Amino acid sequence: MSERILSVIAVLLAALVLGLTFFWHPELPERPLPLAAMPEGGDFTLQSADGPVALRDFRGKVVLLYFGYTYCPDICPTSLAATSEGLKELAPDELARVAVILVSVDPKRDTPARLKEYARFFHQAIVGVTGTPEEIAAVAKRYGAFYAEQKVATAGDGYVVDHSADTYIVAADGKLAGKIAHATAPDQVAAIIRKYLYQP
Amino acid sequence: MKRLTMLAAGLLFSAGVLAGAADNVSVQDPYVRLAPPNAAATAAFMVIRNTGDKDVKVVKADNPVSKATELHTHLNEGGVMKMRPVPAIEIRAKGEAVLRPGGLHVMMIDLKAPMKEGDSVPITLTFDDGSSKQVDARVVKATAAPVPTEHRQH
Repeated sequence: MSERILSVIAVLLAALVLGLTFFWHPELPERPLPLAAMPEGGDFTLQSADGPVALRDFRGKVVLLYFGYTYCPDICPTSLAATSEGLKELAPDELARVAVILVSVDPKRDTPARLKEYARFFHQAIVGVTGTPEEIAAVAKRYGAFYAEQKVATAGDGYVVDHSADTYIVAADGKLAGKIAHATAPDQVAAIIRKYLYQP
Repeated sequence: MKRLTMLAAGLLFSAGVLAGAADNVSVQDPYVRLAPPNAAATAAFMVIRNTGDKDVKVVKADNPVSKATELHTHLNEGGVMKMRPVPAIEIRAKGEAVLRPGGLHVMMIDLKAPMKEGDSVPITLTFDDGSSKQVDARVVKATAAPVPTEHRQH
């Protein structure tokens, strides 16, 4: 009799263990991103008002990459202002090892000269570049950035450009290392830049 | 001269629509984001409060420094920012509409001249009953916390 009770308990316990194994998945506080989720990134050359700009030229520096456009009245200024405020928190020797590239997602309207003026307004370290629609599409694709021209009823030439607003971080070795989310506070931007400046 | 005519017309117009929705609306912390030199567009932000018992809609905005003024919002769809014109900004009875970066804004398109930090831009909001209200928005350089502390209520 007691043997039967024991075996019933054993079966119940086994069921409990199995149930927990299959159905209980506690959330880890921080899940590492699978490697496959990181786009390939890689070198590119686009045009600035002062000539061609190649990502390769910045090897040894941490490069922040932002995809935006100069007709953008709000999202891009918010991102670029946070980036420039973050840059201002860096020491001069740190700032010397950081570059920021603004890639236009509106090559129809953004001339290199206009991009230069727009980028400089935020920070001297920001260089604005553009290229043919095909060149820009190829770079955006490799970095996982999204943009699309949308026809809307607006006086701004009848279109706006939808775009992802994260800032990409390219490490000193030229590899895409991470992203800074849109509207990240300047002190955090500075902390993230430092993390990549001082990583072994 | 044209500006003067417009001002006179505006005064006449606002005198004619007293006791409209505008009387129940107050605007707090209006500001215009300083645009980079030669930038085509910028945005104005503010908090619009409705102390009345009826819902109110802002159906139009105007300002003298840009050729076009529109009401826009942003939709964040999976990290993709989509700016879209909206036909109106609704302010519920006893409620408020918050125009802030990343959301609703008064879009100023085709700026006639570069603006300076500290400039004041008169923005006229027109409501669905035809009444209107002018607010003076200070031009502020964008930082991470762009809302000026100063209260400029009208």
